[in-house]
Amino acid sequence: VNIRSKRTVWAAAIYLGYAVVILLFGFPALWVASLSLRPLDELFVFPPSLLPRHPTLDSFQWVLTQSQIGRYLLNSAIFVAATVGGALLTAIPSAYAFSRLRFPSVRLKESLMVGVLAVQLISPIVIGLPLYRYFASLGLINSRWAVALVYIAAQSPFATWMLKGFLDTIPSTLDEAARIDGCSRLQALRLVLLPISLPGITACSIILCVTTWGQFIIPFILLNHNDSFPISVGILDFQSTIDSLSTNHLAAAAVLSALPAMVIFIVMQRFILGAMMAGAVKG
Amino acid sequence: MPGKKSSRNTDRKPMVLAAEQDRSERGPRAPARDRHLVREDMPWPWLAPLFVLLAMLYFYPLIEVVRLSFTDAMALDTPYHYSLSSYKNLFSSNDFLHMLRITAIFASGSIAGHIVLGLLIAELVRTGERRKLPGAAFVRSVVMMGWVLPGVVIGIVWQLLLDESSAGILTYFLSRIGVHDAVFLSASGQALLWATIANIWRGTAFTMVLLYAGMKTIPIELYEAATVDGANYLQQFFFVTLPSLHRILVITLILNTISTLNTFDMILPLTGGGPGRATEVVALFIYNAVFGEYSFGRGATAAAVLLAFGLVLTLFYFRFLMRNVEEST
Repeated sequence: VNIRSKRTVWAAAIYLGYAVVILLFGFPALWVASLSLRPLDELFVFPPSLLPRHPTLDSFQWVLTQSQIGRYLLNSAIFVAATVGGALLTAIPSAYAFSRLRFPSVRLKESLMVGVLAVQLISPIVIGLPLYRYFASLGLINSRWAVALVYIAAQSPFATWMLKGFLDTIPSTLDEAARIDGCSRLQALRLVLLPISLPGITACSIILCVTTWGQFIIPFILLNHNDSFPISVGILDFQSTIDSLSTNHLAAAAVLSALPAMVIFIVMQRFILGAMMAGAVKG
Repeated sequence: MPGKKSSRNTDRKPMVLAAEQDRSERGPRAPARDRHLVREDMPWPWLAPLFVLLAMLYFYPLIEVVRLSFTDAMALDTPYHYSLSSYKNLFSSNDFLHMLRITAIFASGSIAGHIVLGLLIAELVRTGERRKLPGAAFVRSVVMMGWVLPGVVIGIVWQLLLDESSAGILTYFLSRIGVHDAVFLSASGQALLWATIANIWRGTAFTMVLLYAGMKTIPIELYEAATVDGANYLQQFFFVTLPSLHRILVITLILNTISTLNTFDMILPLTGGGPGRATEVVALFIYNAVFGEYSFGRGATAAAVLLAFGLVLTLFYFRFLMRNVEEST
């Protein structure tokens, strides 16, 4: 009996902890979702309540038809697709080289890999000014291609490391067998390694989607025309046009801009957490 | 070689830094057939796309920012002079010193918050899992929201939450416990406090995932042995869990410092750096110098300082990892 009651106390303590954590981390987002579902006259009811009395999708309809948010979302989707594609195209061959090819010296290879990783730790704000000058002199300010290229450069180091880690788990006897059968390296990569690495490539793409969706500094600096803004920059622009009478619109825009990343995360959660943890700890 | 392999399997090290893996290649040369296969192609063509991109869009700009940091450049297309006094001017300017103070408060508060909360939540989830209580995965996902939401959206979420009018939800909660006319973002001290809290909310997820992953690798036998020795829950946490995590804690600390110093997107919609310059952290300072005042030289100098600081941290990070690798091999 004693053990059982002790167990109950533990379970109660843990669930209390869970409740506190869910409240702290879930409430802010829930509150914004609740604001987005309110008609105008419910924005100022006192006392405020989490559940709207007459929930409505009017704000979403307004935001999607009367503002540029829809366009920003589409721009972001295009940026994400271009970035994931481009980052995979640069990362797959380099991951292959780091995983399978012999370098003149191991030290050189290590320094190159560390150098690639170090790029990830450089804030975009540091290179923002030179990039701005550089692109301005090339007439590329406001070019979506230029921005996508910077995105790709920013994301491929991570992709290279993650895919290299994945390729390392595939026995090299597999692709060597293909090579002995007469495949070129490219064929061995394409016909043998890539199909096996599909789970790794998928996980990597998903993480790239979520992180690219939130990219902000680069487009903020390099784009100055509304029409080409991704959602992160666009919603900031939208926020500046909002007054207290339309916080429900701002909330709806916030929900819309978070939704794609949230959906990807919720559907692919296992994948993402697994990959992040595998990346965090190798054991 | 076999010895090295097995040690690689038993110890756990972060892969973000797994350059060490390649150490296994330092053993005796690969068999002759292997060498024959490998000698055929060099790695360079495979690496070319990545390295060309990084050279163009990272290394060249880095050199440029250092070069510009020694100038008094203003705006585009205007002539400028090289001068060594740019750093002296920056470090003696009140705005810069003020910014350093703001950034130090923001960063230390955020990092402490990330580590403490991340550790607590990871331990909570771990304990729940070990006791086979359902719900741990759900808690983890809710916390992950901070990682999934774009920074700008997080800024907007907190700005809405911290509405100071009577419609504001936090204002209401505080009035219920007797605090009236609460001030959040309109006064300097409070704005910095709430910007820090919002940043803690954002970054705890990443810290928690790293620490949780680290906890999962602690052998269960250690806890069993501790239980046999009569260690209670807290003792197990302090004498088994924490020491086993020390390596990943240092890594978390460094990555956290770097990402916190880079904070920009969340602050902009939340406070815009204000009121006044009360929440103007380093990234915002650089942006305002360059694109607000068009002082390219000054902005570049500040960027170079941030870069140098980041570089020192990064070196420390790699040194630390390499040392650990050497100890473990």
